[in-house]
Amino acid sequence: METRASLTARLCAWDPSLDASDVLLVLPADLPREAAGDAERKEDGIAALLKDRLVCYVNGTEAESVPLDALEKCEFRMGIGCVFAEYVKKNGEAAVLCRADMRYKDWYAAVVKQMTRHLKGEEIRYDFEAELFRVCPKCGRPFRPGSSICDHCVSKRQYLSRLWAVARPYRFYIYASVVIYFMIAALNLLPPYLNRILVDRYIRSETRPLLTQFLLVILSILGVNLATRLISMGRSLLLIEAGNGVVVRLRELVFDRIQMLSISRISRRTAGELMNRVSNDTATVQGFLTRELGTVVEQAVTFLAVAVILFAYDWRLALLILLPVPLVLWLHRAFHRTVHRRYNRQWTQNARASTILHDIFAGIRVVKAFGREKYEEERYDRVIAAERDISASNERFWAVFSPIIGFLMGAGEFFLLYYVGQKILSGEMTLGEMTQFSAYVSIIYGPLRWLSNIPRMLVRVMTSIVKIFDVIDETVDVADSEDAVDLKIEGNISIDNISFGYDNTAEVLHNVSVEIHPGEMIGIVGRSGAGKSTLINLVMRLYDVEEGAIRIDGVDLRQISQSSLRSQIGVVLQETFLFAGTVYDNIAYAKPDAAREEVLTAAKLAGAHAFIMKLPDGYNTVVGERGHTLSGGERQRVAIARALLHDPRILILDEATASLDTETEKQIQDALQKLTTDRTTLAIAHRLSTLRNATRILVLDHGTVAEIGTHEELMKRRGIYYGLVMAQRQMSRMAPKGEDRSA
Amino acid sequence: MNEKHTTLGDVAAIFYLTPDNAEIGEKNLFLTLKLTTTDENGAPTVKEYDRIFLHRAFPFEHPESFISVQDAEKNEIGMIAELSVFPPETAERLRAELARKYYAPALTAIKQLKERYGYAYCTAMTAQGEVHFTMRDVSRNLFRIDENRLLLTDIDGNRYEIPDLHALDRKSYRQIELYL
Repeated sequence: METRASLTARLCAWDPSLDASDVLLVLPADLPREAAGDAERKEDGIAALLKDRLVCYVNGTEAESVPLDALEKCEFRMGIGCVFAEYVKKNGEAAVLCRADMRYKDWYAAVVKQMTRHLKGEEIRYDFEAELFRVCPKCGRPFRPGSSICDHCVSKRQYLSRLWAVARPYRFYIYASVVIYFMIAALNLLPPYLNRILVDRYIRSETRPLLTQFLLVILSILGVNLATRLISMGRSLLLIEAGNGVVVRLRELVFDRIQMLSISRISRRTAGELMNRVSNDTATVQGFLTRELGTVVEQAVTFLAVAVILFAYDWRLALLILLPVPLVLWLHRAFHRTVHRRYNRQWTQNARASTILHDIFAGIRVVKAFGREKYEEERYDRVIAAERDISASNERFWAVFSPIIGFLMGAGEFFLLYYVGQKILSGEMTLGEMTQFSAYVSIIYGPLRWLSNIPRMLVRVMTSIVKIFDVIDETVDVADSEDAVDLKIEGNISIDNISFGYDNTAEVLHNVSVEIHPGEMIGIVGRSGAGKSTLINLVMRLYDVEEGAIRIDGVDLRQISQSSLRSQIGVVLQETFLFAGTVYDNIAYAKPDAAREEVLTAAKLAGAHAFIMKLPDGYNTVVGERGHTLSGGERQRVAIARALLHDPRILILDEATASLDTETEKQIQDALQKLTTDRTTLAIAHRLSTLRNATRILVLDHGTVAEIGTHEELMKRRGIYYGLVMAQRQMSRMAPKGEDRSA
Repeated sequence: MNEKHTTLGDVAAIFYLTPDNAEIGEKNLFLTLKLTTTDENGAPTVKEYDRIFLHRAFPFEHPESFISVQDAEKNEIGMIAELSVFPPETAERLRAELARKYYAPALTAIKQLKERYGYAYCTAMTAQGEVHFTMRDVSRNLFRIDENRLLLTDIDGNRYEIPDLHALDRKSYRQIELYL
């Protein structure tokens, strides 16, 4: 991976007239910038902002050079699978400076921004490089964005030791269970020995043995068996305790971290992926700690113990038994790999069939409405036919090869039988010894089957562990600063020249400045995508601004503790989410200690009380996914009540009344007006009638403030706002129950 | 019933650019367009675009047909039904412009596809030599264009095409087979 330093050095080597200090910004250009020739051709190029000009060198020679004073700005543009840096001259002419594949996307976006800053006479900031050029200190490969794990050199040891740190409070249980494993392994070795005594001394004995001694041996076999079971039981109990404890701690760690992350970090992953981290990956670790780890230890100990006994007894015999071991391991792995490959195919096909099925049933109305039953039937038939073929082939494979593998893997035992049989015939060995050995051989081949699974199992559990720590290690980007204060908010919001983009490839807001006085109601209008929701997201500090600052009562948002900020902002969003629970719980969500009267008042104010009282169980009615279904308007009113309950100093309404009918909207508007009189309110609305009470209207266009002023001022200006009002008047006049709903 | 029904095309017809109404040129490595249209009265109006952008409607199935021609604001000026309606020289220019926007090298062989901790690391061959890339969740980033064609997307957003799955050598095919 290239860095600024490496590119600068190469550029200076290409053109000795350049000095490293002349090179301000560089970009790799590995794809040809001109539209010609072979679509796949790669190049070795470097573009750079020098002190006096913008250049692009291709294969060591200068291909482009523009003096800085002729330039207006630089632009970043995405292709499909590649990125462009372009420049625009002061005379309006534009051209491609350089082009590269997507590896350099973030680099291009950041550098192009800085190039424009430089052209405008602002200082170049290099802070983007910290994230961009972060490389693993060990192997030098770049980290994935937002991750602190190098996939190439994650050390298993390091992760296991971190897992161990989490497991520390349960270390006693784990030590104890390891001891128990040794005990069980030792006990497992006893029954074959006792069997031998039984056979040699009593069953095959020439003299008639004492019945009491005979019974004693039988009883010891029973006792050993019983002891093994009891100890295993104890071990299981210990491990369940430890495993569950560790998993609960891991889940808490992951969940706490996710909660602390900013929306931008969270939305990088899907809800499903996060649920996987919290539930499935931790469950894999739990399974490993409570079942697999123990079995591995037990099997390994048993294997070693039996091997030692065998060697001590007769090394030739031991060798005979152990010689086929590598072969058996290899056979087992090879067989397993093929089986895995085959069954994976079957599984994929099966998943495809269920997807189709789910699709058809979910869209059954569409299928029927368009009369496509036959088509869907054939589509499904095709998929299950394919699944049937794969499955049949797999079954045949299994039926043929499974016994063969079984036979081959047991082949070692036949050699043993031959060797031991000879020894018995020659009188060197007793029948009892033979039973003991046969038992040990079957014991030793048991772990083998297990051992061949260990690598796969380790990979699976390591994957989960790494993914879990990947989340735990995420840096908290929107964090409370150390000197964050709890602020008693008056309601002055000063937005000072802010710029922001969700990712660095596209800026959503540019240089927005607004001064909002306490108690003002600001209506925010503009086309979709103009940056309205982004602006309020920033005021709520769901994201941090990149440039500029937002201040509340003169204090930078980043200096106000998030808990104090959020507890004084009430938000009603476009899409309302109700948690599974009662209506009451949903309203009281942000203030669980609210008095009943407060909740009732808030509901009344939001126009929710009336419909709640028509529900069968009043405020105790269960809503959410499994409960009573509320209409869009009803949900909205519950959400408004939720926002009003903690008597916020700043009220944010993002299309809060959009899904209400005109009459209800008016009721709520009236209620809100009483409320908004001494509260700073930011309201986004498409229906301009919603904003008739607004003190001022802010019109956003393409991320910049296009107009701001009172309704009358903006109407006089005949700008964007005027156009919107006129268009909506037109629409409402055309509506059958025409009513002038515009401001 | 001789009454003529209104067809969809009457209401919203696709406006096609042809050599008759569109003149495509080049300036500063960008394509330019001079568009001549006639209004209801038959009077011609000429509109010039300093820079046009091309966008494929069916990038996988018809890379050279149904090309949307857009202005700097991404508003569609019109569509090109097929590059070949234009004279060869212009068609070649359009083709080159598309090739510059769409970059997805073809993989000729897959040397290794190894999964580790939830990521798949791929070493593959292209006409330009060996490439290394990383994919997150292979099966989700593998798009099967049709029976034989595959499109892989790596974590950076680079795309790689396998133009003919069955033309791959046996070893390459086995690497990718698991995810099909």
